[in-house]
Amino acid sequence: MEEVLERLANAIIDGEPELAEAAAKEALAAGIPPLEIIERGANRGIQEIGERFSRYDCFLPELILAGDAMNAALPVLLASLSAAEAKSLRLGKVVIATVTGDIHDIGKNIVAALLTVAGFEVFDLGVNVDVKQILRKADEVKADIIALSTLLSTSLPYQKDVVRYLQDSGKRERYFVVVGGGPVAPDWAQQIGADGYGRTAAHAVELCKQLMAQYEPPMREPLVFDYKA
Amino acid sequence: MNPKVQKILTSLDRAHSGPVCSVKDWDSRVIPRTTKAVLARHHLEKMCNPAEPINTDDDVADAFYKAGYDLALEIGMLCPDTERIIKAEEREIQQTMKETPDELTLGSGADLVVMKPRRPEDPYPPLVCVSLGLVLSEELWVPVVVGMIQKKHLVDALHGPSLRTVYGYEVRSGTPYETLLGRYEAQLRQEAMFRAGRPGLAQTGIASATTEYGHLGGMPALAGPANSTMSLCPVELKVTFANFHRIVQGINYGNRLRVGGYSFIGGYAGSPEGALILNIATDLLIPTLLASDYTSSYVYDVRVFGNCGRDAVWANSVAIQAVSRNTRFMRNKIVNETAGPCTEMFFYESAVGLMNHCVSGSSKTTQPRSAGGKYQDYLTPLEAWWCGEVFKSCAGMTRKQANEIAKVLIPKYEAQLASPPKGKSVTECFDLNTMRPSAEYQAIYDRVKSELIDLGMPLRW
Repeated sequence: MEEVLERLANAIIDGEPELAEAAAKEALAAGIPPLEIIERGANRGIQEIGERFSRYDCFLPELILAGDAMNAALPVLLASLSAAEAKSLRLGKVVIATVTGDIHDIGKNIVAALLTVAGFEVFDLGVNVDVKQILRKADEVKADIIALSTLLSTSLPYQKDVVRYLQDSGKRERYFVVVGGGPVAPDWAQQIGADGYGRTAAHAVELCKQLMAQYEPPMREPLVFDYKA
Repeated sequence: MNPKVQKILTSLDRAHSGPVCSVKDWDSRVIPRTTKAVLARHHLEKMCNPAEPINTDDDVADAFYKAGYDLALEIGMLCPDTERIIKAEEREIQQTMKETPDELTLGSGADLVVMKPRRPEDPYPPLVCVSLGLVLSEELWVPVVVGMIQKKHLVDALHGPSLRTVYGYEVRSGTPYETLLGRYEAQLRQEAMFRAGRPGLAQTGIASATTEYGHLGGMPALAGPANSTMSLCPVELKVTFANFHRIVQGINYGNRLRVGGYSFIGGYAGSPEGALILNIATDLLIPTLLASDYTSSYVYDVRVFGNCGRDAVWANSVAIQAVSRNTRFMRNKIVNETAGPCTEMFFYESAVGLMNHCVSGSSKTTQPRSAGGKYQDYLTPLEAWWCGEVFKSCAGMTRKQANEIAKVLIPKYEAQLASPPKGKSVTECFDLNTMRPSAEYQAIYDRVKSELIDLGMPLRW
């Protein structure tokens, strides 16, 4: 039993989706309860990669591949749980994108990878993504959070457009909208009516966790995670 | 046919016929795995020595050059639009090296300047372009630019701050607002250059242009070889059709071609060693595949949103020295300060970064990036002047001298890299009527400058 759980953890650490999925299936076939497989196999692997990343012992590619491996194993395991149990294991659904006109992806990719590692179900739409496309995806997957990134000052208005469109279409209470990126600051989040701002990728993860745990959208004031003054 | 056109057509053809690779595979598998394999093959893993931030060992620089050269040949560049790899052949890299000119003139008339390839510790002063695309309010744009460029002995070229509005209207990238903004910024530049008495100042791209629309809007006003077009490729080693558009626009308008590409520590490249060999590969591939007259590239550390920490200083020192020692390619190397105006930290960060880039062999820089470019109106002429003072003054210093100074300066700010001081906006710390900093800002400048002179930095002005 320990051996297959170890293999699952290692497959996630090594970023091998096929091996992770196979190990998850094997563990189930061996009669190990799915919750135990998740806790002692999958989560152990993903926590280890998260710790390595925070120690700079590994970098973004390893984090992305570990997230892919986790995403390959998890559906197999969640299918063996009740709907309530499965939902309780996910922190929430996040649709994330770099907004129109901007092709910078690295910051957004780090946030997406860290959110996955933290236990969120992440739908990464990529870069230069149109407002409507973001909203369609959020609607389709019943997202909890819409996370918007940009490095360009002239793409900032598209973050505002997402919030405004949600307000104007009467859907503002459905999602938290969080913003980040180079020119994004807490006062911008406040100005456009976003629910939160995270300066770094780690801040973004804490922000999303706190929003999901303690609040309902829309926020009166954005929740801000920034450097200490 | 213009040889640059021939190169671009060849690369475009490869963008439609080269090996297939998805963006995801490129970022998460091809880049990290190839980089790691090349480092291992050359026995260059774990070489970063933060205790000696500026490399002084030619053998180290040459060993990394060989690794970067191999990487360039092995990997090529990805075109995300077609998801195909554009490979370079060795004979093409070698041919590009042979054809590289001994110098490049920029600007015209009394403002004409000459950029040259520089070796490490080269006494020939490098060029200074101001500023990076930091956002200014419309009403502040011309006065700040006039202030920055009026010191002719310190500033050789204008890139300029950027704008978020055009005639008061908010600009959305990729829309007609941006096309209009391109022309508007070009007009503001002409006004500022006239008012500063520098009508022939070399110009680079359109700072506010985030897509090819803004570039196209401003290009007619920047035509000719006195100016450079600018095309910045996405990390790592990607080139999009938007990049090709800008390059072709530059060729069409007779501009010099400044094409850039960056490598990120903590990103797809991973370690400082990985980022620096990717940076070397970038400096070799861009002139070969994209016909640049000079490249604009550097190593950046995504973990601290800048490149003035020890790892990035070391990686940049090795990458710049590697290419400077083994080629005559001219390169614009950028320092990314994180602290804002009216802080000691800004002066320290820029001093370390620019001294490093100068003694390592960079031909040009574009500065400053006050406050990391995060806040509107956090840019004053004093940061630009300071960057010019340091970058030009350090020409001829030895790497050993520079390393000793860096070892004293870095501890003064490195603990703050994760939470740098924002500083003050231009209206809070600089008088744009008299073109003088506030008493507080002047005192900080005087104090740091005196300290650096005492440490041995040969500041001349």
